This record gives sequence, structure tokens and C-alpha cells, in this order.
Amino acid sequence: MGRLRQKGKAGAAKAYITRTSAIKKLQCSLADFRRLCILKGIFPREPRSRKKANKGSSAPTSFYYTKDIAYLAHEPVLKKLREHKAFAKKLSRALGRGEWSSAKTLEDNKPVYKLDHIIKERYPTFIDALRDIDDALCMAFLFASLPSNSRLPPELIENCMRLTSEWQLYIMHTRCLRKVFLSIKGVYYQAEVMDQTITWLVPYQFTQSIPPDVDVRVMLTFLELYQTLLGFVFFKLYADAGFAYPPPLDTQKDEGAAGVGAFSLQTVMRSIQAGPSKSGPTGKKVSGKEVRQAIKNIDALTGQDMDVDPNPAQDAVADVEEEFVVHPSSTDPQSSAALPTLHSLSSLPQTTQTSLFSPYTFWLSRETSRPVFEFLVRSFGGRIGWPASSGSGSAFGEEDESITHVIIDRPLIEMTPEERQRRARRKYVQPQWIVDCINAGKILLEEPYAQGKTLPPHLSPFGERAGAYDPTAGIPSIAEAESEAESEEEEAVIEAEEEEEAEEKQALRAAADVAANDAGALRAAELAAEAAGVDYDAFEKEVSKSRKKAKKVAIEDADADAEQDMNKMLMSNKQRKLYERIKHSQGKRNTERTKLEERKKSLIKQKKREAKA
Amino acid sequence: MVAGATSKDTRKRKQPPQEEAPNEQNGLNGASSLEMLSDDEDGEEIGSDDGEVEEFPEIDVASDSEEDEESDESDEDEEESSEGDSDDSDLHIFPKPKTIVSDITGRPKRVYPEIEPDYDSDSSTEDTPNRVGDVPMHWYDDLPHIGYDINGKQVLRPARGDELDKFLKTVDDPEAWTSAFDRNMQGDKALSPQELDIIRRLYEGENPDAQYDPYEPTIEWFTGKGKEEVMPLSAAPEPKRRWIGSKWEKKKIMKIVRAIRQGRIIPNKPKTKESKFQFYSIWSEPPSSHPPPLPAPKPPLPTNSESYNPPEEYLPTDAERAEWQATDPEDRERDYLPQKYSSLRLVPGYDQFIKERFNRQLDLYLAPRIQRTKINIDPNTLIPKLPSPSSLKPFPIYKSLAFAHARGRVRALSISPDGAWALSGDEDGVVSLWEVNVGKEIKQWKFESKIGSLDWCPRSDITYFVVGVDDTLHFIIPPNLPTAIFSASQSSLAPPTLPPPSAIPSPVKWVSNSSSDLSILKVELPPSSGTPTQITWHRRGDYMSTVSSGGGVWIHQISRRHSQAPFKKVRGSVQLVLFHPTKPHFFVATQQYVRIYNLSEQKLLKTLMPGIRWISSMDVHPSGDHLIVGGYDRKLCWFDLELSDKPYKVMRYHAKAIRSLHFHPTYPLFASSSDDGAIQIFHARVYNDLMTDPLIVPLKILRGHTVKDGLGVLQVRWCNRQPWLISSGADGAVNVWCS
Repeated sequence: MGRLRQKGKAGAAKAYITRTSAIKKLQCSLADFRRLCILKGIFPREPRSRKKANKGSSAPTSFYYTKDIAYLAHEPVLKKLREHKAFAKKLSRALGRGEWSSAKTLEDNKPVYKLDHIIKERYPTFIDALRDIDDALCMAFLFASLPSNSRLPPELIENCMRLTSEWQLYIMHTRCLRKVFLSIKGVYYQAEVMDQTITWLVPYQFTQSIPPDVDVRVMLTFLELYQTLLGFVFFKLYADAGFAYPPPLDTQKDEGAAGVGAFSLQTVMRSIQAGPSKSGPTGKKVSGKEVRQAIKNIDALTGQDMDVDPNPAQDAVADVEEEFVVHPSSTDPQSSAALPTLHSLSSLPQTTQTSLFSPYTFWLSRETSRPVFEFLVRSFGGRIGWPASSGSGSAFGEEDESITHVIIDRPLIEMTPEERQRRARRKYVQPQWIVDCINAGKILLEEPYAQGKTLPPHLSPFGERAGAYDPTAGIPSIAEAESEAESEEEEAVIEAEEEEEAEEKQALRAAADVAANDAGALRAAELAAEAAGVDYDAFEKEVSKSRKKAKKVAIEDADADAEQDMNKMLMSNKQRKLYERIKHSQGKRNTERTKLEERKKSLIKQKKREAKA
Repeated sequence: MVAGATSKDTRKRKQPPQEEAPNEQNGLNGASSLEMLSDDEDGEEIGSDDGEVEEFPEIDVASDSEEDEESDESDEDEEESSEGDSDDSDLHIFPKPKTIVSDITGRPKRVYPEIEPDYDSDSSTEDTPNRVGDVPMHWYDDLPHIGYDINGKQVLRPARGDELDKFLKTVDDPEAWTSAFDRNMQGDKALSPQELDIIRRLYEGENPDAQYDPYEPTIEWFTGKGKEEVMPLSAAPEPKRRWIGSKWEKKKIMKIVRAIRQGRIIPNKPKTKESKFQFYSIWSEPPSSHPPPLPAPKPPLPTNSESYNPPEEYLPTDAERAEWQATDPEDRERDYLPQKYSSLRLVPGYDQFIKERFNRQLDLYLAPRIQRTKINIDPNTLIPKLPSPSSLKPFPIYKSLAFAHARGRVRALSISPDGAWALSGDEDGVVSLWEVNVGKEIKQWKFESKIGSLDWCPRSDITYFVVGVDDTLHFIIPPNLPTAIFSASQSSLAPPTLPPPSAIPSPVKWVSNSSSDLSILKVELPPSSGTPTQITWHRRGDYMSTVSSGGGVWIHQISRRHSQAPFKKVRGSVQLVLFHPTKPHFFVATQQYVRIYNLSEQKLLKTLMPGIRWISSMDVHPSGDHLIVGGYDRKLCWFDLELSDKPYKVMRYHAKAIRSLHFHPTYPLFASSSDDGAIQIFHARVYNDLMTDPLIVPLKILRGHTVKDGLGVLQVRWCNRQPWLISSGADGAVNVWCS
């Protein structure tokens, strides 16, 4: 006989730990525990049986994995938190005693925790980290738009702004923005970085106030983690793209509210370090030409900070120079088929989309949001300028001849002849045009988006669930509905068109079909038929025929349905519940779709009626 | 009065300065000496007598105050007080002697002024003329005097006015309210201003002594210049540590100094450098072998309805808007209402932005996560694929005829073994015999109370049936039988020679009455055992078992005319019993269990647990290997007796309690009836092969009975040779269903 097993010594009772006991075990406060959970990404688990996990009690508690908590126990951050507690005590004592100098020393040596090990632990590979920066970006953009107060120090806001600018700079440079959606909550952007789709939401430029039921401490803890995460991710992204991180900030431009324009990308001097190492092992003599080239490179790199705009062109030129050149073989000249190179592969699918706006130059009108549209246009290769009231850093003025499009968002008004002349040269579009072009992947006609026009609906580029209502597709039943409506009208005016017998017959059949199942409708149809001049016998025959047909169909349907219903008897309980659930959700989706379709139909009808009137 | 008081007060206030002036004049000596004294003390220490006297300025002040008091006291006779004052100033403490030439001796002599006992001895009581001492004054109540003066003469009682005088005095005399009754003198005495002042001070919580100064300057008696301690307290020599620094401290400091010099410690680090966190290539080292934690689920992407300019059909109607606003934020399907703006310029800020972000974060760190596999299947694949009912014909499809009982529910129903005749008995006590094919009633029997059950004897060579009414079983031979069969039946029920009575006496009585029209044989169960609710025959037709509503089970043997109770005691109340069709087994259904007994070995074989709360019906498959059990809780359980004591299949398809179940004896069919008024026909094929599961296919739902008082179809029975079903209901109808 084996050993007797005691209750609560193995299994779920051991694998799970309640929050209270976790806090007791870690010997920290609840606030510290929360902070740790946020930083380490530990979340409660749902045991299969709450009763077993809680040693027989069914009190509502949240459970954590015991192992998670055990790992937390030797977390350096927890140690730092404890040190901070001691520090806070010491500081308050020093302040209470009025020992200002020791308080200052304490304050200078305040324990500060670092989160880099947590980042490495939570995201072992770069792709893991990149995949998870959605929330981090959302938070950074949100806090960049918040006003600073006692709880939100200005450095924090500034850092968030810097992070968002760095991200936008990177996106603009790599041209990896894919989709944009103007929603009522804000602007959704979707980019594809290293094959990871990253979606983030940016609020519209309004002052947000933190509602009282939001715990700012929690948000700030998250933000702490997110700032570190974004810093490391951007470092890696910039390093891979060959730029220095952090990008230098032009304070003068920044003070002029240049936004993203205040930052500039600076290439890392890789070539210099690579130069000697390359020549070293090969043992080649360093030619004078190479040396001169290197010096030139250094000059070029250190001398000026390259802005994003001129870069792509230059890069492209450089790329062309480095292009793999096929040397046709001397024996078989035909075999020199074009080999796909990395460059051609990477450039092929994107060329049309990523340089969508490259032939155009845009001018932003004063009332449009500069950060949004500057980002959009520049990340698709266009040039953009704006009035000084929207911030400094515009590359050109309003009078520039190269401007092809003006993004304007105000009603049409009377204009001077000079302005009219200018208008003839430029195209005036509403901001939605830019977004719709990006989502469509091509330049759309400017006409429907012209100033003062009623805009076509703006649809989500992310698509809907499969099988959901699609507003773009013409509803198949619209034609039907129209014919139905026509037949109704015909019924009304049937007297006037007595000579068209074929149609009359059709109407009769339709009426009879409708009437076969409903006594009231039958009576109405009879009256209609009489009015149409059909004799009663013919009507009766038609009705009985249609009735029979309907009955037969109904019986067959009913039989099949009844069989199915009876077969449901033999389903197991589990299967039946699953079936009911699926059916329920299907029904819900269908009703949603049909509701929207119905509404569209009625809207179309209404519009037609209005047009007629 | 108040005015008087204030005037008095002001006077009192004014008095001290008035009197200070003469005091200064008179006591100039004292004052100057006092000042000199302090100077002197600072300069040199003189232990002179005068100095000692003068050292206590309080005394001086007190004496002053006493003078004051006295002057105050003698408000009326100012002369006296002034005299006293002058005396006082002359006398001082040590009065100065005068040197005069004695008249007698002619020598100069010192003459001291006469001592005034009145002044120095502080005996204020000596003033009082009444010298009786502290005796109760009521001793003198009846006498004309109130005591004696110092000379022993009677002090006469002062004249005391009546109440009116007293009152007039309070009005006239301004000092009347500050006077008090003097017991000793038996008269009113005005309080002096000093006394009034003391009263006022006590009243205001001040120190009663007017001269007390709480803020007087400190006098340094033992400290200050020239009064330092000169002698040490201890004679121990000064320790070394007082003037030589610690060696170990020095070593420690040198360690730090060296560290600073070498740059290991930077004393005042520039703060900016420290705060600026340097990012580095964190992913350059190979990742650890630990699997990465699961990434958090991403929030769903926005759909068309969230657009700032959605198609119009997405906009909610007013009703939807109101409904959305009425629901709690947690219960809402969408956290926003679709809205349409004609241009981007008009889109306002989203007020729930921060709240939504916060909720997302709460989800990230507070919500438990479960990995769920999403099932994306066609729900119709879940429905089991069964052969079509049309391929499993014949089975009853339609109602061919209906036989109606006039009154009462038809609870009992039986079909003759050849399938041509049907018997139905209602709660009114009427038993009808009718033809199944045409529904014609041949004969009707009437009993006194309701028919509990009835059943045909399964034998084919003889024909009779048993009706259970009121503790009694009636054996009845139907009319119009062929003579051979009739005589055989009669001889089996009422043999000319009765079999020998059983050795064991039984409480059941077998009574033959061939004369009676109603029944040829009666079996009287023990009284108060209740109506027999079930009669079931063994397949041979010799044994018959009955279950009474009281729970009693009897097995009757017709040939031996003997009844016995198979169980002494049964756990639970017996609902139903059944004979096994091939083996000597006996099924007994209690409320929740079905027990199988071996009758020949007399032991319990098996207990089946259908999991039904209350068993209502049961039937065994003709092969004897399968059993179906129905319950009032709508469940139907199919047991494979070879397999286990748990049901092979449990079905729940009736809307209400199952009332009756029956297997067709020859066709692979069974039927169940329920209180919802429906009859369900199943195809039930049982294979000889043990490995193949029985095939159960629902075939048809027959509806035709009406539900009355919550009761529907009470009994179903199959015809023996045809796939026909006969059902009886609470509405009094007995229907025949044909294929």
C-alpha cells in the first residue's frame, strides 16, 4: 500500500495560489504586487475547479500560478521596491528632523530600478517584442497628447512625444504604413514591420482629461514598461536600418512646433569601422582611391544630418549602383534569365503602393490636422507643405508652383479671380481622399472628394467578419425588391394598362402566390383581380394551383425539417448545447446582416422617392 | 448698582498710583537701596546685614502692599492711614533710636519709639469689640446683648431694621450690595475694596494675591560671571582619545580617498547622466531556451460602423440609441454609438479614449486568460446521420380509427394475442371489447370502480383476460369464442377438480363463480392492498404477476390456483414488474432503480441505475437483452443488459413526462407516449453480433390526442402481427394508428 495522500498537498491546491497569499509570500504591499504583475506580465489564471484550487472554499478570489509567484520572489525589481520603501522611511525621517543635507544625499542616491532584464525575459526575440508593441504605441501616443500636471511630469510627456516621433520617423523612412482608418475614436494606423502587422490608435488633437475613475498609477506603471520596450525596439529598428539612435533633435525646430520634422535621421558610420576590417584580413593594399572615398564618406556623414525627404532618392541611386549585374555566360547567352535579387524582390510588390504620392506635392489647409496628414503623405512619398500657423518646418510656401493638391476641409465659398486661377492649376480635395487612396492602394478620382461635396462613406480597411454585411456589394435582393415594388405599383395602376395582358397575368400570379397562404391577402388579391378585369374562375384556378404547389413544397420542407428535428433527439447533451450555441450566434449574425440590408433598401427607396418628388 | 460698581472699580484702579506717590516719597530710601543692592551684588560680594535684609525685595513690596492695603482698608479715616503711613516710613523694621538726655540720670540715652501692638501684631480680630470667641451666636438670640467687649462690658445688639428697612437700605445705600452679614457683630459689614478685589480675582481665576508677579526677572544665584565652577568633579586624567583621532576611522577614510582617486567612486555624479537611460542592443545575445510567454490577445480591429463617415445604414435608430444608453456600459455589445460627420473637421474628441485604454490595461493584468480553440464547423454536421425513416417502413403513420369512451381517462389497454381484439378500460369502471379493424364494440362490462389494469392471457389455445379492480382480479372469458377454445378456457379457469391447496397458506383467495356473468374466477388480494396498477403475464401464460398501488407484488399461478409474494421486503416502492421473455428472470422497477432477480435461484442479479427521478414505465425487448425505462422526468434510458448497469443511451425528447413504453413483439419498433399528447415511434434494431450497437432511429411523431388536465397519452400497445399501434389517452379516446 502506498502512502496516504493528504489533501491540499498536490495538484491544483499546490499549483495555484490566491492573491492574498501571494502578497503574503512576497512580503510586499498590494500596490507593489500590482506593479510587479504589470511589469512582469503576470496575470491571474482560471483553475479548472476553483474549489480544488482554493482548498475547498468557494470564496471569490483570483488565482495565480504558484510558480509565477515563486519566480517573482527573486525578482530584482522587488528588491528595489523594498529598498525604495526603506528609502522613503529614511527620507521622511530626515525631512521630519529637518536634516536637509542628509535628505539631499538620500534623494541623490534614491534606488531606481531598471527594466531591461524584464524586457529580455518577456520578449526573448525581437519579433516577440515587435509583435507586442501595439498597446505600447497607443499609450505613448495618448500620453504625448495629454497635458502635464502634478501627476504627469513634463519629462514624461516629452519622452512620449519623442518616442512617437521616432516611430513615425521610422515608418516614414521605411515606407511600411499600410492602412489608415479615420474612426470616431481616433485614427487607426496599420504598418507592416518585419512581417508583423502593427496597429495603433492615435486620438484626435484635443485635450484629454483623465476621468476620476481611472487609476493613473496603473497607467503610469504600464507606461514605464512601454517606454523601455519602445526604446529597445526602436534602438534595434534604427540600428537595423543603419541609423543612430536616438535621432538628434533640432531644438530650434522643436520650439517652432515642427513635430516630427524636428528630428533627423543620422546614419551610423558603419563604413568607417567596416573599412579597415575588410581590408585587414584580405591583406590587400589600401589604395589611395579608397582612402579618399572613406574621407569623403566621413565628411558627408558628419557634416550634415540627412533629412528623410532627400534620402530615398539618394538611397535608390546608391542601390542601383550596387545592383547585381548579370554577366551573360559566354557559352549559353540565352540562359541569362533575370535572376531575382533581394533588391528586386523587396522592391517589386511595394513600388506601386509605397510611393503612391511621390509624384504629387500637397498643401495642407489650416484647418486640417498637420501631424496626421504630414505623416500620411510623407510615408507614401509625397511632399507636403503647410502654413506657418500649423507649425514651422514647411519645405515650401503656399505660392509654390509645384503644389498639385490642396487638402482642404471647409465649405465652398466665393473666391477671388486670383484664387480661381490658382484653383484651376491645383486640385482641392477633402482629407478623406488621402486615406481612401492609401487604403485602395491607388490614386482615386478626386472628383467625389472635391471641396464642398458630400463625401462617399469611409469604410474600414480592416474588413468585417466573414459573412457580415458588406456595404460595398450591391445587395442581391435589391433588384428583387425593385421588381416587387414595381409589381405593387403595377397593381395600383393596372386599370390603366389593361392592354398589356402578359403583365396582367404576371400580376395575377404574383397576387395569387401571395394570397395562397393568407385569407386577408386572398380577399385583397381577389378585389385587385376583379379590378383588373380577370374573370373569377381563372383567378380561382390560379389560386388553387398555387396553393397546391405551396402545399407540396411545404410538406417536403416540413418532412425534411421534421427528420432533422427527430435526429436531434439522438445528439448527446454536449453536442446539443454546442449546436444550440452555434445556431444562436449564427442567428444573431444573420439578423444583424438582414437588419442592415433592410435599412439600406429602405434608404434607397426613400432616396428614389425624394428624387421623384 | 452697576454704575456704583464701576465707579468703585475705577477708584480702586486709580488708588495704587495715588498711593504710589507717597510711597515713593516715603520709601525713597528703600527703593534706592534696592537698586544699589543689585549693583553691589554684581560688583562685590558683601554679606552685610543690611544687604541681607534688602535681598528680599518681595518683603519690601509686601510691606508696601500692606501699607497700601491698610490705606485702602481705612477708606473712611484717611487721616489715620496717613498717620500710619508716616509712622511706617519713620519706623521701618529696625526703628531708629533717638538719643536724648535722661531727665533722671542726666545721661544721654537711646529712646526707641513705642511699639504699637496694634500694627505689628497682625491681629485683625482684636479690633472686634465682641470678644465671645467662636461660640454659636444663637446662644445670645434671646438676650439684649450679643457678647462682651475687651473690658467685659456687654456689647449691645445693634438695631436691626425690619425687612422694609433692609430693602430700603439696598435701594439707598450704594454699598449695600457689597456688604455681608457679620455673624460676630450681628450686623452688616461693608466689604473693603481689597476684599472685593480678591473676590474678583478668584472669580476670574487669577491669583488672589494682587502683588504676585508671574513674570518677574530671574535672579542668577549660582551662575553668571564670577560664579563659575573651579574645582573638577573627577580627578581622573584626560583620556587619549579626547585629542588623538581614531586609527580605524582614518583607515576607512583613506580607503574611500583611494577609491575616489582611482575613480572607483565618483563623489558627486552629474545627475543628468545618471537619469538618462542608455538603450543597447538587447536582442544581440541568443535568447534563452525558455519558451516566450504567450502574447496578450490583440483587441479586435475597428469595423465599418466605427468610421467617422459610415454608410447610413449603420446609424442607429432612435430606439436603438435609447436602448444603448439604457444598458450598463459593461453589458453593451459595442462601446460606441455609430455617428456620421459630414467632414473630418467636425469630428470631436472621443471622451472615452482614456477610459478604454485603461480598461484594456485592466484586461491585460487583471483578467485571467484561457486559450480556447475556436470551432468552426457546420452545426448540421453535429446532427447524427441516420437512415431515412422512409427506408424503414412499415411503421404507423396515420390514425385509422378512433374508439371513444364516454367518460373518464382510459388508463388500461390490451390487445388480444392474435391482434384482432382490443380491450380498453377507463376510470369509470367500463371495460370495452372491440374489434381493432373496424372499431366495433362487441361487449361492455361495468365495474364499480376504476379499472387499474387489464391484460389478455398470452396463450393461443385458450382465451381469457384479467381485469384488476379494487383489490380484486377478475378473470373473464370473452363472448363469441369457438366452442373448443371456450371449453378449454373454462376448464383451465374453473377446473372440475380443484388442484390441492398449497402447503403454505396464502392471504390471497381464489373464488370461482361460474354462475356470474361478470367473471368466471375472482382472485381477492389481501384487503387494502390497493388497485392492481399492473398485470403482466409470463410468456407461457401460466404465471401472472400483479403490482398493486399499495406496492404489493404477487405472482399468481393459474394452473395451481396459488398466489405468492416473491419478496418479503422490497426497498423502495415498486412501480412495475416484468418477466424476462426467455429466462427465469424478473425485473422489478422501484422509483429510481431497476432490479433483476433470478426467480429459480431466488437471488438478485443486477441493479440498473437509470438516473431517473421517478420511473414511470418499462419494457423489455423481445430478445430479452435490452430494456427501456421511461421516467416522469422525460428521460428514456436504453439498457443493454449484457453491457453495464448504466444506460447505453439516454434520450430526452418529450416535452412532458413519459407515460408508457412498448416494444413491438415482432417488428423492430418501439413507441413511447407522453403527457404532451405525442407518441414517438422509434425504429430499434438489435443485432445478434455483440460488437454492434443497437440502431435507434426516430421515425415519426404521432399527434392526435388532446391533453386534458395535464395528462396526455396514458397507454400505448402494439398489435401483435401488424405494425399498428393503439393508444389511449386522458381525453377518453383510444386511437388505432396504421402504416
